[in-house]
Amino acid sequence: MSVTTTEHDPIEPDGHDSDDDHGHHGHGPAVEGAENPGGEHETAFQRDQKERLLIWLLISGDALFLILEVFTWFYLRTLNTSGLWNGAACTKANPCTDGLGNPINGPITRADPKYAIIIAVLTVIAAGFVWTAESAAKRGAGKRSVSTHAGLSVLFVLAAVAMQIYQFQVLPFTTIDGAYASTYEFFMGSTLAHLILLAFLLIGLWSRAARGRYEGKTWYRVRVIRFFAVWIAVSTVVLVVVAALFY
Amino acid sequence: MLGPKAGGLYRHQNIWTGLGFGIFLGFVAWLISHATLQGSNWGSDMVVTCTMVGWVLGFNIGMGTFNAPIRWMLGHDQTHEDELYAAGVGQGSSRYLKFCTDHKVVGTQYLVLVMVLFGVGGTLAMMIRTQLITPHSTFLDPQTYNSVVTIHGMVMIIATIIMVSGPFANFIMPIMIGAKDMAFPRLNAMSFWVVVSAVPCLLATFFLGGVNAGWTTYAPLSVQAPPAMDAFAITIIVFVVSVTIAGVNTLVTVATMRAKGMTMGRLPIFTWGAVVGGALGLYAMPAFLAVMTMMITDRATGTSFFVPEIGGSQWLYENIFWIMGHPEVYVILIPPVAAVLEIASTFARKPVFGYKVAIAGFVAIAALSIMVWAHHMFTTGWAPNLAAPFMLTTELISIPTGIIFLCTIGTMWKGSIWTRLPMYFVYLFVWNFIIGGVTGIYLSDVPADQFFHGDMFVTAHFHYTLLGGAMIGATAAVCYWFPKISGRMLNERIGKVAFWFIAIGIQVTYFGQFWEGFEGMARRVAQYNPKFEAANQMSTIGAYILMSGWLIFLYMMLHAWRRGKIAPANPWHAKTLEWKVPTPVPLENFLVDPVVTSDPYTYGEGVPDGQEVPEFAPVHEPEPELVPAGSAPPADAHEGGGTV
Repeated sequence: MSVTTTEHDPIEPDGHDSDDDHGHHGHGPAVEGAENPGGEHETAFQRDQKERLLIWLLISGDALFLILEVFTWFYLRTLNTSGLWNGAACTKANPCTDGLGNPINGPITRADPKYAIIIAVLTVIAAGFVWTAESAAKRGAGKRSVSTHAGLSVLFVLAAVAMQIYQFQVLPFTTIDGAYASTYEFFMGSTLAHLILLAFLLIGLWSRAARGRYEGKTWYRVRVIRFFAVWIAVSTVVLVVVAALFY
Repeated sequence: MLGPKAGGLYRHQNIWTGLGFGIFLGFVAWLISHATLQGSNWGSDMVVTCTMVGWVLGFNIGMGTFNAPIRWMLGHDQTHEDELYAAGVGQGSSRYLKFCTDHKVVGTQYLVLVMVLFGVGGTLAMMIRTQLITPHSTFLDPQTYNSVVTIHGMVMIIATIIMVSGPFANFIMPIMIGAKDMAFPRLNAMSFWVVVSAVPCLLATFFLGGVNAGWTTYAPLSVQAPPAMDAFAITIIVFVVSVTIAGVNTLVTVATMRAKGMTMGRLPIFTWGAVVGGALGLYAMPAFLAVMTMMITDRATGTSFFVPEIGGSQWLYENIFWIMGHPEVYVILIPPVAAVLEIASTFARKPVFGYKVAIAGFVAIAALSIMVWAHHMFTTGWAPNLAAPFMLTTELISIPTGIIFLCTIGTMWKGSIWTRLPMYFVYLFVWNFIIGGVTGIYLSDVPADQFFHGDMFVTAHFHYTLLGGAMIGATAAVCYWFPKISGRMLNERIGKVAFWFIAIGIQVTYFGQFWEGFEGMARRVAQYNPKFEAANQMSTIGAYILMSGWLIFLYMMLHAWRRGKIAPANPWHAKTLEWKVPTPVPLENFLVDPVVTSDPYTYGEGVPDGQEVPEFAPVHEPEPELVPAGSAPPADAHEGGGTV
């Protein structure tokens, strides 16, 4: 392998923001698209490229998880093993049994879709505020504007988390009531885990925006979070649609 | 010199604080869950789950895994000195016991972890073979035997998944492509310490009643298993997180961190293997996460995903498990095969034969591997109409596999082969891989699979593939890159003794198991009909020979690490970039930035007329002192030497 060389100082402090996982590399001036012949100083463009790819790969892995969730729903619904997808086939004369051996004599009460719809709407609104925060950062609207939008996104995602926890309390069934109940609660658990992760990111976005971390050329970091927020909103909506339409 | 406060919290964190926090939080989780949940339905399962989660979180908090994310969330940045401290600057060998972001440290940590895991898995394997030396052995009771078989399987699966992507994709691959580190060094360190925290969970299963369901932990057997199954599932979930992070990091590194001139067409073949393996892992791991999460909810909260009596289906488990399971075989296999091609090229002093074809082969294997999962379910009764299509896709996968095999042979063909220790293991790989591959074709065939399924023929087949193929390929990689990683040369005389023990041990062990399989002996049985005794004795004797070989190999490594000859920067006169940097490799790898101007396998090519090719790094290689008499490199080893 033929190589030529470019000399540089292998480690150079810069004092610029390092709010991501770029480890011990020196960070050069954040000039978008700047020439970087040796690669020793990452430009904003290069960092953006890395972070975008990272988030898209993680989203693709998460999308596969979502597909498997939906697959599980339809697989168990179609098989309706022992008549216990939702108990519609169970009667007093021909009862089914729940996970503790108690008889089930009729269909399991369906979950009220309004809670799931509210959660999805709150998540979509949170993602929308991340988008507006990104726009504010991109046009250089100042840290107050970015942090306000980010703060609103935090409020909405925390409301979604609270609503998801509340929905667990008011469900008309428990995990032992057959496959519909199991899968529905699995959807909810998955949504809750994703919302908590999103809340972590959005709190970080808000606190960093309040410190002016996204002023200037670093607006693209808000975009990376926006990708994830939009993905969470999409996946939440998908689960709501599946659960609401395919009892 | 770093200031006294550099590193912040990292200064006070190491594996001991990790263990301390892990045990403490695990204990607190046990205390609380035991007090509040033990009396409820599935109480024991919830208590074990909470305790394991507490341990994993506590260990990683104690190690410093979450320091940077929490600082990020609070709006604080790591200072440059903190970054340098986290990279291990000025900490000597203690950095190997800390959360260190230097990819070379992480690679070395992975190498040690893999050796430990193989030690555990190998010990369990010897217990299995010792049990089976006589038909009615009482060395292990049947329940313990089943647990030993299960944990042997899973330890080995975990170890083989990370055996190449851990040490070599971390230590070697970034240097190979001209990068200073992985794209996300903190995620890299996180991936390592997260997987470390999973290991005690797996070993804890022995003290929680054992997992007796086989490594596949098929439902509903696993849903009914003792609470050890919860620890098993947590192990897998944590492992999935680690492998996903590591795979994504590898992909981003190769996509965005290559040196100038390092086009995709110039990537060393090993890098391609790491990329395809990482991408395939990203596809497979979510299925593992999904199936184990559902498993644990079935056990700890009474859901009914896999229990037919209450609306579930064991076929759901089997489908999702094998959607993960078969690609996972190629996550294990592709990186070491790529390493074998890399090594064959270096020692045959020839470019990789059919470089682009081999890459296409890797991609084709990856693509086909996601369409073959149901061949593991031919005998389960699931969708008999799909047996023929799955048989076809499975047999199709032998085509790209065969092409890659031919690329390996073609690389060595008519080369002036310099037969050093890594090449011994390349030859062994070729031999084993053809046996493992051909026997796999029998198993892809539905009628033949009806006969062989669940017997020792299958065991022999996948051991030839995963041990004889993948693990021997990884062993070749250890021999090849050990001088760069440790700065020491392996003792080839000891290595060759180890090689012959390993080579003979594999053949005796697994031909014995083919024999058992042909006679119809089932897998996973603690006692058997005396008619299988001769074959089992052959296999057990082979296993002891094999174990002796690995112990000699281990001795060779440990001895070399402490007292081996100092390695020159490029003992094999190889052409790829990792051999162009000094040994030991400095922080950020390159004293000067490389700009790549040719492909990685320019063996036998002189310097083009009128083209001046400067030295890359001021490295002086005392090769003559290190090359044993009679094993000097071929004359063309230095051709194009100016091209370094």
